[in-house]
Amino acid sequence: MHSLLSGGVMEKLNILVLEDDKLAQKVMAAHLAAHSVDMAGDLKAALKKIEASKYDIGFFDLMLGPDDDYSGLKAITAAAAKGIYCVVVSSSDSDEMIDRAYALGANDFYAKGNEKANIEDILRKFLQNRKAAASGDIFASAFITEDAETRAAAAEALKYAPTELPILILGPSGTGKTSLAKILHEHSGRDGAFVSINCSAYTEDLLEAELFGFRKGAFTGAAEARKGRLLEAHKGTLFLDEIGTMSLNMQMKLLKSIEERTFYPLGSEKPEHSEFRIISATLEDPQALIAQGKMRFDLFQRIHGYNITLKPLARRRADIFPLVQHFTKGRRRLSFSPEAKAFMEAYSWPGNVRELKKFTDLVSSGREGRVDLETARKHLKETSCAQTAAAADGGLYAYALANGLEAALDKVSAELITRSLRENGGIRTKTLADLKISTRLLYATLKKQGIDIEGGNK
Amino acid sequence: MTTSTDNSKLLHDLRSKCSSLKSAAELYKDCSAAEKKEMLALMNAAAAEISKLLVQLEKAA
Repeated sequence: MHSLLSGGVMEKLNILVLEDDKLAQKVMAAHLAAHSVDMAGDLKAALKKIEASKYDIGFFDLMLGPDDDYSGLKAITAAAAKGIYCVVVSSSDSDEMIDRAYALGANDFYAKGNEKANIEDILRKFLQNRKAAASGDIFASAFITEDAETRAAAAEALKYAPTELPILILGPSGTGKTSLAKILHEHSGRDGAFVSINCSAYTEDLLEAELFGFRKGAFTGAAEARKGRLLEAHKGTLFLDEIGTMSLNMQMKLLKSIEERTFYPLGSEKPEHSEFRIISATLEDPQALIAQGKMRFDLFQRIHGYNITLKPLARRRADIFPLVQHFTKGRRRLSFSPEAKAFMEAYSWPGNVRELKKFTDLVSSGREGRVDLETARKHLKETSCAQTAAAADGGLYAYALANGLEAALDKVSAELITRSLRENGGIRTKTLADLKISTRLLYATLKKQGIDIEGGNK
Repeated sequence: MTTSTDNSKLLHDLRSKCSSLKSAAELYKDCSAAEKKEMLALMNAAAAEISKLLVQLEKAA
């Protein structure tokens, strides 16, 4: 018989099945053919096997024979005590029986009758959870953080990685939303690709073409047909970054494709089918976007299964130097003077981890591996932490007295402009429109602040 | 006389056998010829059990 789970490379597990019905035994054996399976037809045989062997998972029927009094429950107690992952597959699925099974140590409870989908789901979840537990060191290798709150939130999010549940990642720009989305995909057990798109980087028409793809000749310039990101993400993960910037019209089209799992590429009358899982991210408050009429409530409902909020780097300062170490792994190692360290720890890191990475790259390619205060200051554009703190703390007046009114106004302009650029993903045209300022003022301010005018998004 | 407890056990068995039969029918097409023979024998036995259970249920009604 074909193994129904032989599609992907799956770790071989030791599995016990307690089932009295011969036909049900045959069905279970077929679905678990890729693994090492022991079959027990009654409680006595099951207890003997649990005592003598080591199993990863146990599948338990509860009522073993016409006159049995749910003796399968006793096997759950014995198996749970030995650390076996206990799954009940039974037709006795009353609320009372479900409660009893969970109270005795069952990890999952499924009603009989949909074994194909259920067993695949159970095994995938089991393996992914085991992988996630074994890779508790993701915080030392893939998602660097020493912050207890961030670790707890990310670890919780990992539990949902192997499910179909959509995940919404909130947090300011540069806090590692994309990295976390990738990690969640890697722990999802999904066969398809991780496909990422930054919604803020496209106009509405371009975003539609990117997401849904197009047929040759669908519009001027469509010289060749192109597959959209939705199709690329088939059986994988579609990561929608900055989803809050998507127009309401696009939101409606996306919602339809999420609900129906089908969509039409531009210029095509043939629908495409794609089974993608959505992870999305935004630096804005989705509830506020809904209140402002900028986000559809029904789309929000579809994308916010599990939410995780990443804190800005300034609120997890313990991560600064572990991150620097991570960025320089296998490269020139850096050493920081105590003054430079103090400066970096007091700095507000408006660009978050992304800014720290850029800073690390800059100082790494410098003349010396020892970073002193002067070097740190040179590469971090704030004039001084004290001045910034004073300004942020309502001390703008004091700042103006110390530096002059023009300098204080420049400072306010610069802060508002850099904030808008950050929130608009660096797209200057959006900042120009949002703040209703001239191109001249934008460029003059960026130049005064020493911000790279040629780099970044237009 | 058949009690309601007996009825619920009858119904449980009926659901259980029907579920197995449904799952087996879904698997059937993936079986080799020899396995199909074995599977059919088990499916027939389950169907006979279901028939017996239905008779008992009818009597209990």
